[in-house]
Amino acid sequence: MDEKVPRSKIIETEIPMGTVHPAALEPYRVRLFVEDEIVQEAEITIGVNHRGIERIMEGLPVEKANSLTEKICGICSNAHIWNSCRTAEMGLGIEIPERALYIRIIMGELERLHSHFLYLAHGCEVLAHETFSMRVFYLREIVMELLAMIGGNRVQYGCSVLGGVRPRCDLDESKLLRLKEDMDKVEEGLTDFANRFTSDSIVMSRISGIGVLPQKQALKLAVTGPTLRATGVARDLRTTMFEYDNFDFNVVTQPDGDVKSNLLIRALESFESIKIIRQAIVNIPEGKVVNRDWEMFDTGINESYIEVPRGTLYHSYALESGRVRHSIIRTPSMSNIGAMQYACIGDQITDAQLSIVQCDPCFTCSDRTIEIIRR
Amino acid sequence: MFENTLINSILAVIGTVLVCFLISTLLPGIERKYIHARIQQRIGPVVMAPGIMAPIKFMFKENVEISSPVPGLYKSLPIICFIVVLCVLIALTPQAYQFPALASLVAVVGFLKVEEICYVLMGALSKSVMSVRMPFPDQVKGAAHLKTTKSFIEDISAKRSLRMITYGSFPLYMALFAPVTAAGSIFLSDIVAYQQANGPFLFTVSGAIAAIVFFIGYMIILNEYPFSIIKAKSDVIEGPYMEYAAKYRAVVYITRGFFMFVLGAIFSVLFIGVPPTILSWGILVNIAVALIFVFMMGIFSAFSPVFTNRQLLPTILGATLLGILSIVLGLL
Amino acid sequence: MGIKSFSRARAIHVMLVYTGGCNGCDIEIVNSILSPRFDAEQYNVFLTWNPREADVLVVTGPVTYHNRKPLEAIYDAIPNPKLVVAAGSCALMGGVYKNCFADIPSEEIEGPVENIIPVDAKVPGCAVRPQDVLAGVVSLLPTLLDAD
Repeated sequence: MDEKVPRSKIIETEIPMGTVHPAALEPYRVRLFVEDEIVQEAEITIGVNHRGIERIMEGLPVEKANSLTEKICGICSNAHIWNSCRTAEMGLGIEIPERALYIRIIMGELERLHSHFLYLAHGCEVLAHETFSMRVFYLREIVMELLAMIGGNRVQYGCSVLGGVRPRCDLDESKLLRLKEDMDKVEEGLTDFANRFTSDSIVMSRISGIGVLPQKQALKLAVTGPTLRATGVARDLRTTMFEYDNFDFNVVTQPDGDVKSNLLIRALESFESIKIIRQAIVNIPEGKVVNRDWEMFDTGINESYIEVPRGTLYHSYALESGRVRHSIIRTPSMSNIGAMQYACIGDQITDAQLSIVQCDPCFTCSDRTIEIIRR
Repeated sequence: MFENTLINSILAVIGTVLVCFLISTLLPGIERKYIHARIQQRIGPVVMAPGIMAPIKFMFKENVEISSPVPGLYKSLPIICFIVVLCVLIALTPQAYQFPALASLVAVVGFLKVEEICYVLMGALSKSVMSVRMPFPDQVKGAAHLKTTKSFIEDISAKRSLRMITYGSFPLYMALFAPVTAAGSIFLSDIVAYQQANGPFLFTVSGAIAAIVFFIGYMIILNEYPFSIIKAKSDVIEGPYMEYAAKYRAVVYITRGFFMFVLGAIFSVLFIGVPPTILSWGILVNIAVALIFVFMMGIFSAFSPVFTNRQLLPTILGATLLGILSIVLGLL
Repeated sequence: MGIKSFSRARAIHVMLVYTGGCNGCDIEIVNSILSPRFDAEQYNVFLTWNPREADVLVVTGPVTYHNRKPLEAIYDAIPNPKLVVAAGSCALMGGVYKNCFADIPSEEIEGPVENIIPVDAKVPGCAVRPQDVLAGVVSLLPTLLDAD
């Protein structure tokens, strides 16, 4: 299984990259231990942008803490606030209007689209293929404008509140119509891009077999999200979430676990997201979007897992007289760091950043205080 | 009488160089605006911006203390590069054909080699802030492998440019020597005379193959995508040029545009038989060839990712074999 | 307008430094320079990753403890004249992270950016909009053109 395990002899050269580097969109340090341009081992140092969100959340009123979780990450901000609200809702037993659930799913899937498009564009940029990168960024702009239309801001929308969604984010007929039209546009553009991308033999030969993560290793490293599905494991938390009960979608997998599989799975998942949004537009029920009739009481630790664009997101906190206690957040990139370090091994230095990018890193999410327990 | 001819020749050479230089400053802008930006469906910068305006801007910047073990040598390297490119252009003008030692293919190849060696030195001497010198507390934490030598990212690009000298520029030199087989002489005057008598070498089978090889070599020596391994953004950022600031960066910018033009001029001399001189309309051919090369390079680089050593080796090997084929065809 | 200002107005190299924060501003800025929708290159603004090449340093994020020294090192590496744009509310005032415990500032955050390097333009927003970033860089033009 471990054909990529580093040789145990002494490695002489080390190349540090970061904390500011063009191939990374966020601060982190990676130390590459190389031998004749082949990476033998990689070490990613995070903690550069540790801001202590859980510490800040401690003792805040739950509504405030929810909107604070949005500032954890600028890419999957909606996922954080959604899951944070969901944690409290599950603890307090708040019933959420059907319409609000649908709007949350539309936002969640739009966010998945923009996250996956960012991934594709950034991946192409690290490949130095500026043209493809531009094309995807152009598609992404359509999604960003839809998000701005629903949430009022391009990045942090603050869509979910306890008991539903903000009334601002309610979707009227004209918004639904625009959503529908733009989904057609996005699908057309993405189909065109995917066709060009897969038929480009130079790019395909460049990215296949790079940064391979075998399935067994992925399971061992507890990799989540599309990175895991790209190794052939059909594991998607959306299939178990009650919000997605009324929706019909496929869990996409790819066999190889290399950069090619990872790029393709993002493109294919984007089509599934478009499918979900279309179902939501057709089936969205009438009614109010927020339920204000709920009582606050003290609870024990409440937990919630959801599937976000990058994998499994976990939030947990207890409630004491309306305030958050013992908050824990576990983001998907946290468990994917092992995969990033593993995927670099055995590739050229030029591909090292590509191998890191293929696991869709979000170190701003994952900068938490970690206690390493050695047994 | 003799002095008159000498002065006239010198004036003609200076005029040619000036015209070529002015046109060459537009080439990076043309590539950026009319090729890359057009393909990417955006407006793009002003044509003058990357080629002329950026160097002028850098001229007016403060000359900072650069981080290099041998700052004097490091700063002189772009100027050497520029002079080398200038010498190649002078060697191509018909006035220089009276000096066979200068106006021969061996001299041109020698100049190009100097250019490549400059990249190695630049890479080895540049110690930028972006890798090892970045103040970050990762020593105290230890690592998987202790007692390693910390290497600057420019050191990788120095090693890569060394590798490019050994095999990377083979296609270009193969293509340069293909016309020799037809003309039977390494002197530029003979090659030009042969083509003016027998028609351009480009339109023979051997010449057409050699032209393709020349184009690949042109992209390799200009470090354009996909062959930009020594300054790939995904790992070495700008490679050898990392530490140049102010005036020296201006020279780097100017040299790139000028080098694009001069390589086009080499092609038009060797494959079409039209030397660059302002005394004839032939210079328009030179300009057209330079423009066509820039256009083709822009299109190729917009549609290809950066190659690693794994793709580079077969590409260069294939191009070299094509070059050998064209030489063999020329000899037959 | 002299040749100096003329050339400066036609080639502005922008470098982005991210110093923590939530990544939203970084992507919006890279997006504004890279994506064909906003295309900063049409205003002759180029994105560079080399401090020796840069004229304008765009800083996002509240400057966490580990990012202070890299930011200073990069700022020192830029040759004069150099200008700094602080983009996003984190860079302007530390955002939600700085003054989170009322009077007690967070020890993780060294920012705002003003505490560390001089700031010439401030672009508010959480996250900044690409239009605002472009406007911020363009608003610096008079200062940049008249600099020595």
